[in-house]
Amino acid sequence: MIEPKPLRRNLAALAALSVASIAMTGCSVGSFGSSDDGKTTITFQNFNAADAVKASKQMIAAFEEENPDITVKLDTIPGGSDGDNLVKTQLSTGDMDDVFAYNSGSLFQAIRPEQNLVPLTEESWVETVAPSYLPAVSVGEDVYGAPSGTSSPGGVLYNKTVYERLGLSVPTAWDEFRANNEKILADGEVTPIEQTYGDSWTAQMFVLADFANIAAAEPTWAAEYTENKAHYADEPALQSFTNQQQAFDDGFFNEDFASATYDDGVRAVATGTAAHYPILSGAISAVEQNYPENIDDIGMFALPAKNAADTRLTVFLASAFYIPKSTTGEKLAAAKKFVAFTQSAKGCSIFLEGGVSGPFVNSTCTLPDSVPEAVQGLQQYVDDGKSGAALEYLSPLKGPSLPQLAVEVGSGIRPAASGAQLYDEDVKKQAKQLGLAGW
Amino acid sequence: MKRRKSRWVAGSIAIVLSVVVFLVPFAFIILTASKSATEASQFAFTWPTQFMLWDNVLEVLQTRDFLILRAFINSTILTVSSVAIMVVLAAMMGYVLQRRRGAWTTAATYMVLAGLIVPPAVVPTVWVLQSIGLFKQMSGMILIEVTFGLSFCVLLFRAFVATIPRELDEAATVDGAGPLRVFFLVVLPLLKPVVVTVIVVQSVAVFNDFSGPLYFLPGDENATVQATLYNFQSQTLSQWNLLFTDVLLITVPPLVLYIFFNRQIVEGMVSGAVKG
Repeated sequence: MIEPKPLRRNLAALAALSVASIAMTGCSVGSFGSSDDGKTTITFQNFNAADAVKASKQMIAAFEEENPDITVKLDTIPGGSDGDNLVKTQLSTGDMDDVFAYNSGSLFQAIRPEQNLVPLTEESWVETVAPSYLPAVSVGEDVYGAPSGTSSPGGVLYNKTVYERLGLSVPTAWDEFRANNEKILADGEVTPIEQTYGDSWTAQMFVLADFANIAAAEPTWAAEYTENKAHYADEPALQSFTNQQQAFDDGFFNEDFASATYDDGVRAVATGTAAHYPILSGAISAVEQNYPENIDDIGMFALPAKNAADTRLTVFLASAFYIPKSTTGEKLAAAKKFVAFTQSAKGCSIFLEGGVSGPFVNSTCTLPDSVPEAVQGLQQYVDDGKSGAALEYLSPLKGPSLPQLAVEVGSGIRPAASGAQLYDEDVKKQAKQLGLAGW
Repeated sequence: MKRRKSRWVAGSIAIVLSVVVFLVPFAFIILTASKSATEASQFAFTWPTQFMLWDNVLEVLQTRDFLILRAFINSTILTVSSVAIMVVLAAMMGYVLQRRRGAWTTAATYMVLAGLIVPPAVVPTVWVLQSIGLFKQMSGMILIEVTFGLSFCVLLFRAFVATIPRELDEAATVDGAGPLRVFFLVVLPLLKPVVVTVIVVQSVAVFNDFSGPLYFLPGDENATVQATLYNFQSQTLSQWNLLFTDVLLITVPPLVLYIFFNRQIVEGMVSGAVKG
């Protein structure tokens, strides 16, 4: 038989504690008023990546200094699909923060901007934003978002010391790239191309970062793709898949490509065990954090197109700050002021302190000399007009199975043509779900 | 003699297996938490060249103005309160559902099963919480956790009450005890094994819940420990050493509790096994 007494005492203690704790939290939570003593408090929600939080805090401090009658409170959300779901929930329940950061492009279109967001078309900062960026945060004539920092191009991260040692030059056409890789392979010291399918999103770069090249060759491709008139199974887009297959067939990949992770890839290219790593420019920040002594050894170039004349840098555009319709009155005015502040010269300088990995899309902002050379090289592409937006900013279609298909093609399991065809099937499902015309 | 040897071998294999399954991952967490960001990003099972555990702990604690301390307070309140409510309510329900037969208890049983089967929908739940003023409130979150866990606990209690002889209730009633006294003084003490099981299972579930607080308890002042894990990872730039330090900090309190209450937990579960 178990003695009853101690258990009961424990239970009673538990119950008492729980009641007390409920009472306590009842007082402490939710006591943020909107406007006592003439001060307006607005809330600002950003992604909780370390650099975003750091920049947000500095941004708030600088803004509050200029506007002493406004207080800004920071909230954070996780990135990725958890964040997507949370933002959609917050918008549909009318519980969104007064200013929030979210992706631009197809994800922005998916949160029903006309219904949920306040148009910012009349704001003065809109003129300073690059015209190539605006479509990614607009519906029809109305602009809804302000760029939240720098964009993040996708391209090939390469090791300069390997290039110097073998006397190679940055390739502008696919055949030159292949020739470079042949030389690196013949040299036998380093891996020509690092692939890291342990993080399957990295496998998509051959396809995703190639899109600006396709668009350069056929400017109307994205529109035709949305209308079901152009497909990945046909040239010129098939080239992206073919490139990946060819790189595998040539034996350019590292031995552990199937299980290596993103962090392995960053290490390989930074320390020179691999010559190339097709990836997003955010990897430059990872090199800066983990291999600061190697930061000057790396550079980045656009994934080469078949014809050198078509080679463009594919740019994944910056996320944006939006204001939801649930923000009204004094708070709306304060929120607009805050968004405008992020677009001022002072706002840019704060983004820069948070760490940048790509070019700005705002003409009031320029990259200082202190940013890594690799990033400056990317800015050069933009300044020369040799850049284009990634497909996801020009078309709402992106099939969910691309990472898996890219892994199959890049592992030699599936030929390029078959991979491209399956991807078209994958996209078809999404197009029907979105109810697009012509599918 | 031969038999003793084979038992010895089997025991050794069991020990080795449990070391591999439980201690090796834990050692990996501690090692990674002691490394610099550079070394941690290599995910190697190696001794850190520089032992930085203390620096990492300090950095994690200081992240976002000691957010993790607030998260610990929130998680503790959430776990203790919701598990306490769950145990008391589920024990009462399980007792009544098992002892009484009738249309009402059948209906209640179906509702309990529905609680297991019907998936919780996020947006309507938020609407309900908003309309009764409990959204973004700890009390609202506690109610949600109780709702999510209650069905499972009720089924456990109901099955266990079946093993307690009815004669005990009847004897107490004959001695003049009312229904409440019968439950609290006679039945509940006998339920100790299953109470312990429920506390262990549900504490782990509530403490580890990430998506619940993410949707129903947003805002930094309401952060729970699982939410703090996301401070250190993103697609292209992660601080794995800090992430693992955070994991370590989060794992330690339940582990310490387990070491202290080890005897009660094992005793509770074993006494149930023998009796059942």
